[in-house]
Amino acid sequence: MGRQIQDPVVVGIDVGSTTVKAVVLDPVTLEILWSDYQRHQTKQPEKVVELIDAIEAAFPASPRASWRVFMTGSGAAPLCAGLGAKFVQEVNAVTLAVENLHPDVGSVIELGGQDAKIIIFKKDEKTGDKTASPSMNDKCASGTGATIDKCMLKVGLPSAEVVQIHFDDSKLHHVAAKCGVFAETDIVNLVKSGIPANEVLCSLADAIVLQNLSVLTRGSTLKSKVLLLGGPNTYLPFLQECWRLRIPQVWDERGYDWPKDRPVEETIFVPENAQYYAAFGACVYGLKEAAGVGSYTGKQGLVEYMTNGRKARLGESAGPPLAKSKDEISDFRKLYSIPRFTPPKLAQGQVIRAVVGLDGGSTSSKAVLVDEAGEIVCKAYQLSKGNPIQDAKELLTQLRDHVQNQGATLEVLGFGATGYAADVLEETVRADVNIVETVAHMMSAVRYCGEVDVICDIGGQDIKVLFMKNGDIANFRLSNSCSAGNGMLLQAMADQFGLPVTEYADTAFGAELAPKFSYGCAVFLDTDRVNFQKEGFSKEELLAGLAQVLPKNVWQYVVQIPRLAALGTRYVLQGGTQYNLAAVKAQVDYIKERVPGAEVFVHPHTGEAGALGAAFETLRVIKRRGTSTFIGIEAAINLDYTTKNDEETVCHFCPNNCKRTFIDATRPDGSTSRYISGFSCEKGTVESEAAMIALVADRKKIAKQFPNLVDYESKQAFRHFYEPAPLPPEGSPVKDTVLKKGFFGTKRVETTRPFRRNSHTVQERLRRVRIGIPRVLNIYSTAPYFRHYFEAIGIPKQNVVFSDVTTEEMWVEGGKYGSIDPCFPSKVAQAHIHNLLFHHHSPQPGALPSPDDKKLDYIFFPILTHVPSFGEGVMDKTSCPIVAGVPDVMKAAFTKEVDFFATRGIEYVDPALTFSEMNLTARRMFETWGPRLGITEDESDHAHREAMRAFDIFERDLQDKGRAILETVEAENRVAILMVGRPYHSDPGLNHAIPEEFQVLGYPILSVRSIPRDADYLARYFKEEIARGQHPLNINDVWPENYSANSAQKVWAVKFAARHPNVVLLDLSSFKCGHDAPTYGIVESIVNGSATPYAALHDIDANKPSGSIKIRVKTYAHSLKLHEEALDDAAKKRGELAMSLDKKRLELLTMKQAQMAARRQEDPALERQIAELGDRLRSYVAPITPPEQPKGLVTLKKKNADGNVVATHAGANAAR
Amino acid sequence: MTMQTTTTQKKSLPIVAAHKTAADLDIDVDAELLAFEQAERERIGIKAERRQWADNMLDLKMKKSERASVTLLISGLTAAQDFLTEGALRSLGYKVHYFGMSNNRGLQAGKEFGNRGQCNPTYFTVGSLVQHLIDLRDKDGMSAEDIVKNFVFVTAGACGPCRFGMYVTEYRKALRDAGFDGFRVLLFQQQGGLSQATGEDVGLEMNPPFFIAIIKAVVCGDVLNALGYRIRPYEVEVGATNRAMEEAKKICYEALTSHSNIFVALHKAKKVLEGVKVDKLRARAKTSIIGEFWAMTTEGDGNYQLQKFLESEGAENDIQLTTAWLLYNIWEVARDTRQRQDLRTADGGNYGLEGLDEFGVAKKLAMMRGAEVGLRAGFEAFALAAGLYDYHLPDMDLVASVANEHYSNDLRGGEGHMEVGKLICNVVMSKANITVSVKPFGCMPSSGVSDGVQSLITAKYPGTIFCAVETSGDGATNFYSRVQMYMFKARIAAEKELARAYEATGLTEAEVRAFLASHPRYASPLHHAPHKVAGSAANLVYEVAPLIQQSALERASIKAKAAAAVLKGAALGTPAAARKAVAFVRDPETHARLEQDFLLVRDLLQGKAREHLVPMAQRLLGKAVFENNPEVSHLAHSGEAIAAE
Repeated sequence: MGRQIQDPVVVGIDVGSTTVKAVVLDPVTLEILWSDYQRHQTKQPEKVVELIDAIEAAFPASPRASWRVFMTGSGAAPLCAGLGAKFVQEVNAVTLAVENLHPDVGSVIELGGQDAKIIIFKKDEKTGDKTASPSMNDKCASGTGATIDKCMLKVGLPSAEVVQIHFDDSKLHHVAAKCGVFAETDIVNLVKSGIPANEVLCSLADAIVLQNLSVLTRGSTLKSKVLLLGGPNTYLPFLQECWRLRIPQVWDERGYDWPKDRPVEETIFVPENAQYYAAFGACVYGLKEAAGVGSYTGKQGLVEYMTNGRKARLGESAGPPLAKSKDEISDFRKLYSIPRFTPPKLAQGQVIRAVVGLDGGSTSSKAVLVDEAGEIVCKAYQLSKGNPIQDAKELLTQLRDHVQNQGATLEVLGFGATGYAADVLEETVRADVNIVETVAHMMSAVRYCGEVDVICDIGGQDIKVLFMKNGDIANFRLSNSCSAGNGMLLQAMADQFGLPVTEYADTAFGAELAPKFSYGCAVFLDTDRVNFQKEGFSKEELLAGLAQVLPKNVWQYVVQIPRLAALGTRYVLQGGTQYNLAAVKAQVDYIKERVPGAEVFVHPHTGEAGALGAAFETLRVIKRRGTSTFIGIEAAINLDYTTKNDEETVCHFCPNNCKRTFIDATRPDGSTSRYISGFSCEKGTVESEAAMIALVADRKKIAKQFPNLVDYESKQAFRHFYEPAPLPPEGSPVKDTVLKKGFFGTKRVETTRPFRRNSHTVQERLRRVRIGIPRVLNIYSTAPYFRHYFEAIGIPKQNVVFSDVTTEEMWVEGGKYGSIDPCFPSKVAQAHIHNLLFHHHSPQPGALPSPDDKKLDYIFFPILTHVPSFGEGVMDKTSCPIVAGVPDVMKAAFTKEVDFFATRGIEYVDPALTFSEMNLTARRMFETWGPRLGITEDESDHAHREAMRAFDIFERDLQDKGRAILETVEAENRVAILMVGRPYHSDPGLNHAIPEEFQVLGYPILSVRSIPRDADYLARYFKEEIARGQHPLNINDVWPENYSANSAQKVWAVKFAARHPNVVLLDLSSFKCGHDAPTYGIVESIVNGSATPYAALHDIDANKPSGSIKIRVKTYAHSLKLHEEALDDAAKKRGELAMSLDKKRLELLTMKQAQMAARRQEDPALERQIAELGDRLRSYVAPITPPEQPKGLVTLKKKNADGNVVATHAGANAAR
Repeated sequence: MTMQTTTTQKKSLPIVAAHKTAADLDIDVDAELLAFEQAERERIGIKAERRQWADNMLDLKMKKSERASVTLLISGLTAAQDFLTEGALRSLGYKVHYFGMSNNRGLQAGKEFGNRGQCNPTYFTVGSLVQHLIDLRDKDGMSAEDIVKNFVFVTAGACGPCRFGMYVTEYRKALRDAGFDGFRVLLFQQQGGLSQATGEDVGLEMNPPFFIAIIKAVVCGDVLNALGYRIRPYEVEVGATNRAMEEAKKICYEALTSHSNIFVALHKAKKVLEGVKVDKLRARAKTSIIGEFWAMTTEGDGNYQLQKFLESEGAENDIQLTTAWLLYNIWEVARDTRQRQDLRTADGGNYGLEGLDEFGVAKKLAMMRGAEVGLRAGFEAFALAAGLYDYHLPDMDLVASVANEHYSNDLRGGEGHMEVGKLICNVVMSKANITVSVKPFGCMPSSGVSDGVQSLITAKYPGTIFCAVETSGDGATNFYSRVQMYMFKARIAAEKELARAYEATGLTEAEVRAFLASHPRYASPLHHAPHKVAGSAANLVYEVAPLIQQSALERASIKAKAAAAVLKGAALGTPAAARKAVAFVRDPETHARLEQDFLLVRDLLQGKAREHLVPMAQRLLGKAVFENNPEVSHLAHSGEAIAAE
């Protein structure tokens, strides 16, 4: 406590998102006289008053009237007036504190509860002044204290042990730190895979450190010394150690000279009193203000604010509560409270013959025992403990004990599983059924609620909405890993207030108003929550507001269908969240407000809907099959298993080096099974080299049978596939146009003149020139042009170098240069430039030159303002403005501190080119390369023409292959998946190999550009358009604002799919894509109108959400199977129709023949027709069935002019 | 899937009735078969063809006869401009209603009915319209049919490439989903020229008077806004400027509605604004607001009332005017034309010069030059009348040339290179203490490109105070916090700058105050000291220093010396200029060009020009053949032969 002070003091208070910190300073010496630090549990004003009281008590003799108070922190602003305090922005406060206390510090990294800040001090070379350039996370980024807190809860390690952990980079696992929600999901998955807590936390620390280093520094390099501030940095030694490892690595990479002779703990350090820096800085700031600013007025104003002022302001911005009256609530409760399930009493000695259904969910696992009649015998529930086998064993024990404890005997007829655990259980206990969650939910909902239109399942981690038609899933929407509004959010919110989630509804119903949250991502919602809390909303009100945002998240954010009524009138709500009546009330109100006559049901066993679905499916399967594969409940309960996760289990089949977990189970009969988790591709599912080779061979076979044109296009675009015509000899005659320019007018005159060539030395030089081009963005649609242009002027084909295909390693290695955070396809360009600079260019600086050196002379990354497009009647063919601008952004990123190009002797060339004006492009190519390479304009123009030719060949080739696939699937009543995306979505690093997932299921994949655009072909599908005079490639009837070339092509491809019965859609868009966003509604309308099967992933980003991809692929595969069946049925019906028409025709013709015979006439043609028809009808009776094709094999075929489908050679090449 | 079975299966043919004898008629086999096929299709359950969706809200028109009954709804620019546009269009005989600045309710409606992943301006503007219509329906009790019949929305359209170009798509989607299917949104294109949508039965005639009315309102609003931002930070009585502004706006509104002289009105407005008491020696950080057009222009929830917040943090805002945006549009066309005029073969497409005759390029450039000069002169005239002295509209060529090295002038969308160019100008020419770049979350051209390049600019010019902030419609606290962080530095910079001014001139604040008290002309709210440094107060000190410290004679002598220097420079420069002129006249190229002009004119006079039309027609014909030829129609580009072939 402070000593007796007679003089005035200065008080600094820092109100953060979780704590309040206060310091009292001597205004002259800036000595800290008193300090304290308290968690505020969201009661900021109360805590501030408490601290003020303590300060007043500590300094009884100091004159109050001369005190000055300065406040900082995210929660301070509304409290200032109450104390007479002056508000100081926190970064300014921290900056001043650091400048004052550590003049030698070069950068500061502060991790707070809700925000992260990096301050880099830069010295102005001219004036010598130090200027601080601060950077704060935008609200989307993660890497903050709150994320760390949440993840530590998930790991479940006591804090006493957490501080013992040391950073170890030998066992790191993938954690996406870009967003708090992603990180949390990854952490949960790691915990579930049985990864030790210290490895999980080290992985989290590493992810957060790298995230901050790559994003928050905005591409700048930290300057030494580095000061670490904020709660997590202060208290978590492993986090400090992680900074000390990673920062010097970045320094070395960038050639920054840091004091290597001193211990790193001195260079990157946590100061004493780190938590008080902001409060201290606020005082330093305040003392520079005029006297009188921040004069302490006593705490009375703040007390007044707490009691009255706060509430009065709220009414203005808040919305209505969940219910207007107590009666409304009690009526609602009567109607919607889920009756408590009481398991039926079992008789002593009764034999229960039943199946087990198990749903291994993300946060909790559930199991049900369902008897042969479909009645529930009992249920079991537990929070997932991280190991699916252990969870299953415990659940099964619960079920068994329930039966046995009542003296009955249990005979398990079968076992079915769904959810995250289904795969491992299928393998280890030989489950009879392994179905995807969506289908399980559908089966259960239909069973209990009859014919329904919409099923909305809100689970712990995700939201699933299924749209039904004819008793099956017609379409579905799933939340992606980014969205919120799920049960977890409500749970977390209840936790924040120390409230059991079971009391959520009672509390929320007590609110008289509710703050209006804006819907969307959980991180944003949490920011809102903090803000509302600061404004003074009570916990009742916050909980009510949050319940109200739930339906918005479901219907507006995930489902994206504003007109709910279009979906139908019967809705089923299920999933564990429905136990929370506040959430149900909000949902029911939302739906009923928008759908007249809506009926909203809550599933009677809402939490176990998935498990029940699995059980019902098991019943069906074992009844049909007569036997079960399940190893038996006792065997399952006693299953021995070991998990292994060490050096040995690391997958080395590709550079990813996934850290896998092996779960080895030994069944009682001695048989063993190994389940492998934690890999990112199916290469990880094998253990040995031989098995690996077999798997790859198997995949190749499938790939050959099921061509993937997306993959083909992504490779072919960069290959040399055309030998450009040689340059004409010097002097050979060429036709040209000469421009005769006046001041006012210009005339063009045709002429013939000799072709001009460059000198021999230039040709020699060209043979050695190497040009690097990043394999990104619209280069995917233009690379054939650029490659063949360079080849045509005489650069050897191996000297046109493209960067490698995007991979996660490439991104981790090269993703730290950008200063902005646009969509991933644009951001990843920096990793490609890095790849060219550091992997395709030698010598490296400092190294001695050697003859093997492969030096890049240029990195060529053209600004493409307009891109190739086949759109007809479009308004323009523009590229996305971000994509077009990336080359300039890259130039800035790689030259701003160190000119990485100049220091490596490379020239960065980024001219603006347009693919909608090829004459201008030819001119600009010459202007760019003429002076640099010494070529003549004639040569450049020749190369341009050859490049165009190559481009045409490329396009033609794709379409030929596409046509082969289309005609094959049509002839065989199969489906092909058309991946609609932007050209660069064929980059496997961007599409996360989702097309391949479908390819291995046996579906050929088409790309947008592989759809044949020949008039005769399109005429088959665009009859209506052609009839009304519209070009088949014109999309103005659905979207006239078609400026964006790639979006327009996407919309056209969707139109095509809507018209082709054998084409289904897979729609990929990147997170933040501004050019795709306006087309979502249009695509939706086209697809819904024509009932084309459609699956969309609209937010693909850097990290691969494997779980989410898997469930989508499985669900979509289910729909596609049904669609194929329907196609088959339709073909059969068409056959039936043809036969019956022929019969009728024969009948009519015979009648006509009789008529004519009556008139004694004869018509040989009629006779012949009758004979032919008779033959044909006989062939219907005994149709020549073609030999059954081996399952899954498609031989590519083509329709001839006569309508017959024959095998084609081109198709077979497609897969190569 | 359920099978549909029909009981009314037709076994016998309807035409071959039993009572007719077979010889009576011939069987029409085809007709019989057709009828049978239909029945069979139904029996077997073969699905009808797929239904294909087409947008039914395209090309909705307003008719002349509707003018009396239909109200044009407008919103989207600054409050002053929307208000004045309402007045200006009323003068043309339309019913017009400005329904207010976009607010958070609009944002919520926009998010509910719009596509996911849109930018803020889209949500705000689209949502505000939808919200207004919902209010008309739910609060005022109008039926949706009546609303669709009686209102249309008029707004500016754009030509990509950012989301702004696709607003209309969003309007249609949101209106349809909110239950206003068929509601009309009428667009006038930014670059569509003055002759769109006119004719016999057009309800909203987008003719020259229409555009002139809008431009008058916009420029008038610009001038008043610029004045307001100049005066407000220095007002002695809080709120006085806003009151004066309201009055000034009303005066101009009346004039625009009644077609009376706008200059007289502006002069009256000037008198009103002159009445605001100010203290011009306050150190205010000159704050240049740049960024995405809508985010920096709106004055409501869309940017958390940024302008007001900045003023509360000690800023004098230097806002970007809509007039400057129009100048940018003109610059774009002129630049694109110049870039293409020397191609040996002209391209087609939106920017290519294909189809222009020999004088086409010169005509196009002259037109753009004329438009620019006209707009600048008009603005100057309005500005002078209203008392906006010494205001410089940006030099588009200068902004473009300083930016081009870092941000290609060919990149379009949003503000294009202008953000980068303006920041460089602000720094190099000391135009502002701080540059605040405001943009919606995820704005493609601004946060996706400009900010990436700005990081290089700030590194190149240390000491630059550059604050880039994104607006997302929620979380105002973070937004304000970030702005405060930078404003702190800017305020200190402005204070230092003023202190330097006193130091350099050797004056004290009291001396300057005394001078201002005795010379009210310099203390007037409309007075604008010439630019020397960023801050207005410091500029004023530099301006009045000689007046205080030197006698009239000294000043006159200094002025004379300065004038002499200018003259001397001019004189010294004259021979050089003369030499240049002579060289130009003697240059063979000049002769060649003149000769070409002569030949062209002669051709024209001799009627030979018609001959040039033939090849052009052939070219066009060739294009038509090309387009209709399936062999080549899949090509993505127009594969015209170029140059040396």
